[in-house]
Amino acid sequence: MERMVIIDGVRTPFSKMGTDLAALGAEELGRIAVSTLLLRTGIDRELIDEVILGCVSQPADAANVARVVALRSGIPQHVPAITVHRNCASSFESITQADEKIRAGRGSIFVVGGTESMTQVPLYFSHRAASKFAKLGSAKTLGARLRAITSFRPSDFKPKVGLMIGLTDPVSGLNMGQTAELVARESGITREMQDAFAARSHQRALDARERLDKEICPVYAPPDYRKVVTEDNGPRADSTPERLARLRPVFEKGSGTVTAGNSSQITDGAVALLVMSESRANELGFEPLGALTGYAYAALDPARMGLGPVHAIARAEEQTKLGVGDADLVEINEAFAGQVLACLDKARSDDYAREVLGRDRAVGEIPEEILNVNGGAIALGHPVGATGSRLALTSLLELRRRDAKRALVTLCVGGGQGGALWLERL
Amino acid sequence: MPDGIVRLTFDRPDSAANVFDRATIGELELRLEAIAADKDVRGVLFDSAKPSIFIAGADLEELSALTDPDDIRAAVERGQRVFDRIAKLPCTTVAAIHGACLGGGFELALACDARIASDDRATKIGLPEVMLGILPAWGGSTRLPRLIGMPQALAAILQGRQHPAKLAKIRGLVDRVVPKEHLHRLAIDLLRTGPPKRKSIRLAHLKPIAKFIAKKATDQVLATTGGHYPAPLRVIEVVRDGLAVSEAESQKLEADAAVDLIRTDVSKQLIRVFFLQERAKKCSVLPQGAPTPEPERVDRMVVLGAGVMGAGIAQWSSARGIEVILRDLDPERVRAGMQTIASTYKSAVKKRKLDRVAAQAGLDRVFPSAIDVPFGDVDLVVEAAVEKMDVKRTIFADLDEAARPAAILATNTSSLSVSDVAEGLDHPQRVVGIHFFNPVARMQLVEVVRGKATSNEVLERAVRYVHQIGKLPVVVADAPGFVVNRILMPYLFEAVHLFENGAAIESVDRAMTQFGMPMGPLRLLDEVGLDVAAHVGDHVGPIFGDRLPTCPSMQAMVDAGWLGRKAGRGFYVYSKKKTKKDPKPNGALDRHVTSKSAVTLPVDELARRMTLLMINEAARCLEENVVEDPRDVDFAMIMGTGFAPFRGGPLRHADAIGVATAVEALRRLSNEVSARFEPCDTLVRMAKESRSFYPSDS
Repeated sequence: MERMVIIDGVRTPFSKMGTDLAALGAEELGRIAVSTLLLRTGIDRELIDEVILGCVSQPADAANVARVVALRSGIPQHVPAITVHRNCASSFESITQADEKIRAGRGSIFVVGGTESMTQVPLYFSHRAASKFAKLGSAKTLGARLRAITSFRPSDFKPKVGLMIGLTDPVSGLNMGQTAELVARESGITREMQDAFAARSHQRALDARERLDKEICPVYAPPDYRKVVTEDNGPRADSTPERLARLRPVFEKGSGTVTAGNSSQITDGAVALLVMSESRANELGFEPLGALTGYAYAALDPARMGLGPVHAIARAEEQTKLGVGDADLVEINEAFAGQVLACLDKARSDDYAREVLGRDRAVGEIPEEILNVNGGAIALGHPVGATGSRLALTSLLELRRRDAKRALVTLCVGGGQGGALWLERL
Repeated sequence: MPDGIVRLTFDRPDSAANVFDRATIGELELRLEAIAADKDVRGVLFDSAKPSIFIAGADLEELSALTDPDDIRAAVERGQRVFDRIAKLPCTTVAAIHGACLGGGFELALACDARIASDDRATKIGLPEVMLGILPAWGGSTRLPRLIGMPQALAAILQGRQHPAKLAKIRGLVDRVVPKEHLHRLAIDLLRTGPPKRKSIRLAHLKPIAKFIAKKATDQVLATTGGHYPAPLRVIEVVRDGLAVSEAESQKLEADAAVDLIRTDVSKQLIRVFFLQERAKKCSVLPQGAPTPEPERVDRMVVLGAGVMGAGIAQWSSARGIEVILRDLDPERVRAGMQTIASTYKSAVKKRKLDRVAAQAGLDRVFPSAIDVPFGDVDLVVEAAVEKMDVKRTIFADLDEAARPAAILATNTSSLSVSDVAEGLDHPQRVVGIHFFNPVARMQLVEVVRGKATSNEVLERAVRYVHQIGKLPVVVADAPGFVVNRILMPYLFEAVHLFENGAAIESVDRAMTQFGMPMGPLRLLDEVGLDVAAHVGDHVGPIFGDRLPTCPSMQAMVDAGWLGRKAGRGFYVYSKKKTKKDPKPNGALDRHVTSKSAVTLPVDELARRMTLLMINEAARCLEENVVEDPRDVDFAMIMGTGFAPFRGGPLRHADAIGVATAVEALRRLSNEVSARFEPCDTLVRMAKESRSFYPSDS
C-alpha cells in the first residue's frame, strides 16, 4: 500500500502566552504557517486535496479554523478543509488522517498541521448568566427589562477562564497538573528529578537554537507589523535546577512536586506540513524529509493520562514490529517533567507491562541521550493543537542532520490517551 | 409591465456603455411624450441593460465639438426640458441604478421621484462635471441641493466624487441600496408605494445661511485650486443663487454658467486630459487584431525590494487581486514594507475606498519573504531594489534562471537603462521597464519602458498589467530619465539654482503654484528627498551636459542630513505635529545663497525660466524619439507630476504662448543668463516654420 511522505514543514516561532504573538488569533497564526509553507515549497495549490489542521480551542470568529486558514492562505476555494481535535494529539491526528486518506485512495496531497492561540482562549460567562442575558435581550417592556436586569448577581459577571476549563479533565475531575502529580508520585519521581529534567530541556533548546531556526519562519506580526518575531521566546538560560527549586508547587500545595517551571509553557504557535503519497512526490520531483512508517493511538485511565506514550508505543509495536530499541531518536512531549520521567519508569517496568499493558515484557529502556534532544515543551512551549506536528517536524530535521534512520515521536493526551508516530528517513 | 407600470431601459446598440447623446435624448423625449399622454400609466421605471453601466453621462465628444454659444445653450436647455418632463409626470418615477450612474445619468435619476441602487461594486454614483471644468447643468445643480441640502450637495459636486452605493445612501444621493437581484422587484414596490417622505431642509437655505455656506466653500476652493479653475466657483454661485429662486430660474442659471464654462480654455484642456486618459486605458503596442500574448493576466507576481516603491507596488497590485511575493534580503526591510502596506490598506478602509473584508483579503495576498523561495508560477517580476547597476545585473541574472520562461522581468528603475540591465541575459527580450511614481497609491501614471531587446509581446503584456491594476501607461523609449524625470530635472535644478542666486524659497515655489503646479519645485524636492534627487542627478545628469546648472547646495544639504520632509528639514522645516499650516522655509540655508543675481527677479520671470526649460526638454523628448506623440509627453507630465492640467501639458502650453515666442524667450535667456537656455533644434525649426505641436483646433 501507498506510503505517506512528509515533503517539508514550517512553523511560527512559539511565543509564551501574552507575548510576541498575543495579538494573533489561531486563524492568523495558521495562515502564516500554511502560506509560508506553500511559498517555500512552491507546490501548485490546485493539486492539494484537502487541508487538515489540529486546533483545540477554535476561535469563535473562525469556526472550522482550517477552512479559514486555507482560504486566507490562497488555497483554491474548491479544496475542502477540516479541523481535527484530539486534544494534545490534534495535529498528530491531522497527520494520521492524511495517511489514512492516502491509503484509502481519497487524495494524495494534503496540507496538515495545527494552530493554537492559547492567549486568545476566551473567558466564558456561566450558563446561568448567559440565560439572564438572553432574557434581557428579549425583554420588550420596561418592566420586563427591569426585572431582567435586577435578576443579575455579582457572581454572574465572574467569567470562567477557558484555558483552565480546557486543562481540566471533566471525567476524573483532575486538572492536568494533578494527573502529573499522580503519575510522578506513583513512579517515585522527586521534585529534584523533575527540576533537573526541566533545566536540561531549557539547556538543550538553547543549544539547538540554530537547528530549530531551520523549521521557523519569521512572523511579520499583524496587525501593525511593528516587529518581526524570529525565535521561540520560551527557553531561558537562567532556568537552572537551583532557580527552579525556588518555585512553589501549583497543583498540590505543600506536598506537591509539579511547578510552573517543570511543566510545559502555555504558548501560541502554528505548524504546517506538506504531505503526499510517495508516488505523487516522485512524480512531482519533490525530495521528502521522510516517511510515516506507522502509528498508534491508545487510551487509558484519564487520571493517569501522562502515561499515554507508553501505551501508544506498545500498541504501535504490535502493528509495526518496531520497538524503542529501533529508534535513533525519541520524543516524549514534555507536558510535565514528572510525567515524562514516569513514562521512562513505566516503559522499563516488566510489572507495568504485564499488569497494565497486557504484554509479557517491558516496553524498553529509553536512553535519555536520544530523548528530546533539542529540548521540549518545558522550554519551547506547548500550543496544544500544534505541538504534535512540531514534534514530527523537529524529529525529521534532526534525523536528516544526524543522518539517522528512525524517530519515535509520542505524546500524552488529556482525557487519557497517548499517540505514537514512527517516522523514518528515506 | 403589469399594473400600468412602464419600464424604460437604456441599452445603447453596439456599445458597452450608455451615454446621453443627441439621439438618446431625442428618443427619450418621444417616449416621455407618449407616457404623458397615456392616462393608464401609473409608474415609470428607468433602468439599464448594460452589465456595469447605468448611464455614464453626456457624450463628451459631442459636447466638446460645440463651440457656438447658441448651440451650447440649445443642447443644455434640451436636456433640462426632457428631464423636467420626467419630474413633471403625474405618476411616480423611479431610477433603478446598477453600474456607473454619473453626470447626466445621475441628473436623470435626480429628476425621478426616487432612486434605488444595487450594492454591486460596479455601482458608482456622482456628478463629476467639475473635473471637466463644467457643471451639472441638466438640473443637477438645482435638484441635488433641494434634495440633500446645500452643504452636502456642494461637497458632492465640488469633489466630483463617484460614490459607491453605500456611501451614496449615507449622503442621501439614493433612497435605498439593495442586492442587484432584488433591484427590479423593489423598484416596482417603490413605484406602488410612492417615494419615501423626506425631511424638510428649507431652513438651511435661508439667504444668510446659504451665503455663509457659499463663502466657506469658496474659501476652500480657492485654497486648493489657487483660483485657476472657474467651474467650482461658478457652481457655488449657481447653487447659492439658485436656491433663492424657482427651479426653472435656477436651471436658467445653470444654463448660463454652462455656456460660459464650456467655452473656457480650462474646460477644453480638462476634457482633453479626460480623452488622453481614455486613450491610455486603451493603449496597445501591437497592431490591431494581433492575438493577445499569453498569459493575458497577471495572477501572481514577485516584487523584489520592500522599500517605499516595492511596498507601494505590492500593495496596489494585491488590492487588485494579484498575489504578490514581497521579497527582500533583509527581514527588517520586509517588516517595514509590510507595515507600509498594512497602513495603506488601513487608510483605504478609512477613506471608504475598500471595505474591511476586501482590505484583509488584499493584505493576505501579500506573501513576505526574506529568503529565496521558488518563483515557479509567477507571471511577472518587478524589481524595485537599489538604483545600482551591478546590483540590478546580479538580480536579473538570477531572475533569468529562477523565473519560468513565460514570466516577464520588469525593473522599476527611474534612472538606469533598461537595456543595460538586460544586457548579457539569456532572455533579454523579456526584460522591460515598469516605472511607477511615488506614492504608488496616488500616482496613476506608469512609464512602460521599451529596452533595446524588449519584445513587442512583453511590452504589450507590461501595458496590459498596468491596465489590469487600473493605472495609466505611457510607453517610452529607454532614454535616461524616460519622460517625466527627464523633463523635471532641468526644472528642479533651475529652482535650486534660482534659490542659490538669491530668489526666496517661497518665491520660487509660489511662482510655480501660481502657474498651476500642485506644489512648488523646492517643496517637491523635499517630498522626493534631496538624497534621491541628488542620486538621480548623478545618474541622469551627464546626459544633460551643460544644460543642468551645478547646484552645490544640494550636496551640502545631503551631507548635513537635511534630506527633506522625511528628515524633518530640507528647503523647509517640518513640524512633527500634524498641522495644517504650511512649513516654514529653512533659514539656515541662507549661507548657500552665493549670488544676488536672482534677488530682484519678479515671480513671473522665475516661473517663465522654469517653464521654458520644461518646454525645451519636452521638445527634446520628441526630438530624440523618447515618445513620438506630443500627447504622450503632455499626458505623462500631467499625470506624473500634476503639471497644471488646465494648461494641457508643457507642449500644449508651448502652443498657447506660441512656439516662436518661447524660442525668442529662450534665446534671450541663453544670451543674458546661460547657454543652458539655448532652444533645441526642434523648437527652432518649428518656430521658423510657424508650426505648433497640435493642430490649431485642438
